Amino acid sequence: MIDFCNVSKVFNTDLLKKDFHALKSVTFNIPEGKTIGFLGANGAGKTTSLKIAMDFIRPTSGEIKYNESLGKNKLEAFKNIGYLPERPFFYPHLTGLEFCHYMGALTDLSKAEIESQVNVWALKFKIDFALNRHIKNYSKGMLQRIGFLATLLHNPKLIILDEPLAGLDPIGRKELKDIIVQLRDEGKTVFFSSHIISDVEEICDSVIFLKDGEVVFNGSVDQIMKDNIKPETRISYFDGDSLLTEVIPNNKKEEYLSKLLKDGKEIVSLQAEKPTLEEIFYNVKKN
Amino acid sequence: MREINKILTIAKFTFKEIIKSNILVNIFFLGLGLLLVTYVAYSFTYGEPARIALDFGLGTLSLSSVGIAIFIGSGILAKEIDSRTVYMIISRPVPRYCFILGKVMGLILVLIVNVLLLSTLTLSAYFFIGGEFAPILMWSILFILFEAIIALLVVSLLSLISSQTIAVILSMIVYVLGHAIDGVKLTSMIAKNKVLESIIDVYHFFLPGYYKLNLKEHVIYKQNIELDYLVNNTFYVLFYSLFLITLCVLTFNKKNLD
Repeated sequence: MIDFCNVSKVFNTDLLKKDFHALKSVTFNIPEGKTIGFLGANGAGKTTSLKIAMDFIRPTSGEIKYNESLGKNKLEAFKNIGYLPERPFFYPHLTGLEFCHYMGALTDLSKAEIESQVNVWALKFKIDFALNRHIKNYSKGMLQRIGFLATLLHNPKLIILDEPLAGLDPIGRKELKDIIVQLRDEGKTVFFSSHIISDVEEICDSVIFLKDGEVVFNGSVDQIMKDNIKPETRISYFDGDSLLTEVIPNNKKEEYLSKLLKDGKEIVSLQAEKPTLEEIFYNVKKN
Repeated sequence: MREINKILTIAKFTFKEIIKSNILVNIFFLGLGLLLVTYVAYSFTYGEPARIALDFGLGTLSLSSVGIAIFIGSGILAKEIDSRTVYMIISRPVPRYCFILGKVMGLILVLIVNVLLLSTLTLSAYFFIGGEFAPILMWSILFILFEAIIALLVVSLLSLISSQTIAVILSMIVYVLGHAIDGVKLTSMIAKNKVLESIIDVYHFFLPGYYKLNLKEHVIYKQNIELDYLVNNTFYVLFYSLFLITLCVLTFNKKNLD
């Protein structure tokens, strides 16, 4: 839906300092109907990429292409995109409902459409009780929920979220993840940045790893797991009353199992040793 | 048509957000202060107490309007970026010029409310003391509003190209210069120095001539003033405001919002 074509971004904050290359020829695309995790450590260039995608800042070189399925031009495309910035703090003196009306009116929704959408999503986001409160009285989680709600008001095809789960408690994270899964099941395209890899592993079809402004992996979660599977097997068995676990190289697996059976041990489980996405991410090297 | 609706929506919620903040309370206390100052001036004045009351009233109205314009205008973008609300708006099908025009329109509405409230108090005090109505009073209040609008546009433009603090400081300098420049030009030092005279001519061409909008002397001393002068200066405000708004839009279109 959005193509990044050799996008580079150089910041020069100080005349006496060297240029900072935030993005180095970044190329990837956001495919339709998928949930894509945009991973990278702090400072890897995730937010810069998203700001370029949304035309808040311009790339030093390269270009962003919006597919025709989103619209013929940028403004039309933006009608079909919902964007939630990182750690938002909306207008403190407006109520949540006023804020939703504001955002809805900017996407050409009528009052009735806004109200019906707010009624549906406020319940799902569990923010219905606070819609008439001033935003200055909202907690961090409530701000994230009202922001997410406003992002979905116009029923966008593509939803771009910048660190949507950052700073939330486990229950809040679970609830927002459930909504992302629901959106995926409805056929929406969700592209969200995060540095919390377990969240991405849980809900994404594919991932894009960014490291020091470069894409170091772009593919499906299944593929990266398969590629990084270790040639080892984890064997759990009972030795008397104790449950023991051993990790054995695959070429010695049969021999070890025979020995355990011969010794009368009760085998509980055999599992291919696979790393978590987190472990893979920290071990990803530039090709 | 849709663009106009978007500008009006942004203006409406900008106005709502500011009015719901503490600004009305500030204006209320400013109004009380204004009445107090007027009362003190009235009590200690012999001869023309109404004139003194009007002098204090219009002076306070002018300074408070420009002060509010500078302080709310300087945050036109900085605050929006800090709270990331600008991203929520620009990520919707809203052209950048709609954002700027909507924000400016919302802030102008706040200035109108301020001028209406404070001028009502000033005139009430003036009439209570025994002052007489003259049409120039209304022109004077209108020009104070114009002055605040220009100050708002100047600070908005400066805040788009520099930091909020620098924008506030520069706007204050421009405000003082804008009032003083006409008097300075008449001094013999400038008249004798061609270079300084050229600098002042350049100033006149690009920077706001706030002195054109100061009718206080005419009001207080009941001096005659030509209608042409008032109309010409109204057109000056109109065109100068358009010039500043165009610069704001062009600057904002090119600006990296990071």
